[in-house]
Amino acid sequence: MIERIAAFGRLGLDIVSSFGRSGRFLAGVLGGVPRPATGFPLLLKQLYAVGVLSLAIIVVSGLFIGMVLGLQGYTILSDYGSEAAIGQMIALTLVRELGPVVTALLFAGRAGSALTAEIGLMKATEQLSSMEMMGVDPLRRVIAPRLWAGFIAMPVLAVIFSVVGIWGGMLVGVDWLGVFEGSFWGNMQSSVDFVDDVLNGVIKSVVFGFVCAWIAVYQGYDCVPTSAGISSATTKTVVYSSLAVLGLDFVLTAVMFGDF
Amino acid sequence: MDSPAYISLKDVVFSRSGRRIFDGVSLDIPRGKITAIMGPSGTGKTTLLRLIGGQLKPDSGSVVVDGHEVPKLRRKALYSLREKMGMLFQSGALFTDLSVFENVAFPLRVHTKLPEDMIRDIVLMKLEAVGLRGARQLMPSELSGGMTRRVALARSISLDPELIMYDEPFAGQDPIAMGVLVKLIRDLNSSMGLTSVLVSHDVPESLSICHYACIISDGKVIGEGTPEELRAHPSGKVQQFLQGQPDGPVPFHYPAEGAAQDFGLSGGVS
Repeated sequence: MIERIAAFGRLGLDIVSSFGRSGRFLAGVLGGVPRPATGFPLLLKQLYAVGVLSLAIIVVSGLFIGMVLGLQGYTILSDYGSEAAIGQMIALTLVRELGPVVTALLFAGRAGSALTAEIGLMKATEQLSSMEMMGVDPLRRVIAPRLWAGFIAMPVLAVIFSVVGIWGGMLVGVDWLGVFEGSFWGNMQSSVDFVDDVLNGVIKSVVFGFVCAWIAVYQGYDCVPTSAGISSATTKTVVYSSLAVLGLDFVLTAVMFGDF
Repeated sequence: MDSPAYISLKDVVFSRSGRRIFDGVSLDIPRGKITAIMGPSGTGKTTLLRLIGGQLKPDSGSVVVDGHEVPKLRRKALYSLREKMGMLFQSGALFTDLSVFENVAFPLRVHTKLPEDMIRDIVLMKLEAVGLRGARQLMPSELSGGMTRRVALARSISLDPELIMYDEPFAGQDPIAMGVLVKLIRDLNSSMGLTSVLVSHDVPESLSICHYACIISDGKVIGEGTPEELRAHPSGKVQQFLQGQPDGPVPFHYPAEGAAQDFGLSGGVS
């Protein structure tokens, strides 16, 4: 019994110390003024790696999710004779929820895991240490551009996801199932509010982008520099990011849309 | 020692994961000479280099490099001190996304505002010094182990440091690559007037080039002096290490319970 209590205490201490380390890590990354001449090319390179290279999976997933929404929405709404509302249903679902959340989950799996593995391998092969010994802070040179790139790329990817999803929903709803195009777009325009829906969705994706990128770079930087350690850190990135995104989504939805 | 110390460690105590790595190590590393730090694997030789470079802080004791108390330096001062240090890592630690040329140019691009043509000339001169001017366009994945270390060596001297630290430079090298590295370390030290610290357990190679050597074991310095003084050292542990004897003061067997008990022999075994 005492051993169990001790183990529980150790777990608690580990969690608290991990939060403390990641907080200090974040302060180290964000502290200091970046030099645009050196920082901007590094940021561009990372935006390409985490943003542009994630486009394919985001576009394809957005398209299919929009098409599925169109199909499911039509089936359900036609029972009530209100299939014309399919446009607003697809748009609200994507812009408020699925756009930011699914993009964040895909981002964690595609770009987050790659960031963790890359940084972990740089640590294991002493590249980060050698940078320190050359008088270059790896937190600013290696970690900061990756963190900012994730932070910037996520909202853009989420918007692209939603746009492609709406287009996929239109393909199925209008072109295939024959919903009137005017009511598809008209209902959507009249019910989707820019501030309440679009902006709140973008805020969600900004928060998710920050959290996913933070978890990914921290797990890479803090990993045990062995093959098993990198493998475990990569898994943690995907698991923690997914849980954090889903948990935060509930909190943000409650704050943004909860009418208490 | 006839020259003033460039690095001075005094009563350094350092523990990691509850294990004491150094238990009061004191050591002076002379300026402009090659000093070899030797010892069995796992004695913390690399840790010693990290203490000198300020990547780790001792629990107690002082680490002074060129008059600066390293553990007490603030971040900015530490990073500017590191610009005077070069370190050759065991793995080479080349940046895998940069070519050989860009790896060697990296410290110059970060720390200087030299024009591109001057950076090119310096990089080619450094690569020429390690015999790899022709390999400038290769990527690190295309290099052999020995070439990787030579490129890393060129990178570590690109800013013309005062101090260079070699972490196990000979480990896993074939005889030719080893000979090349021995020559490079010796030539660089004499031509650039560097202070060199060489961490290794390759006894013949290290003793052949160093001016001064010390052996660390069980968290303490067990022997130090010139190579000749070490060869004549009275300590059995020092002699066992230098001559590579499998048994001696450092036992062959890891401490274990009685063999009879482990093998289930009630009659006992000798």
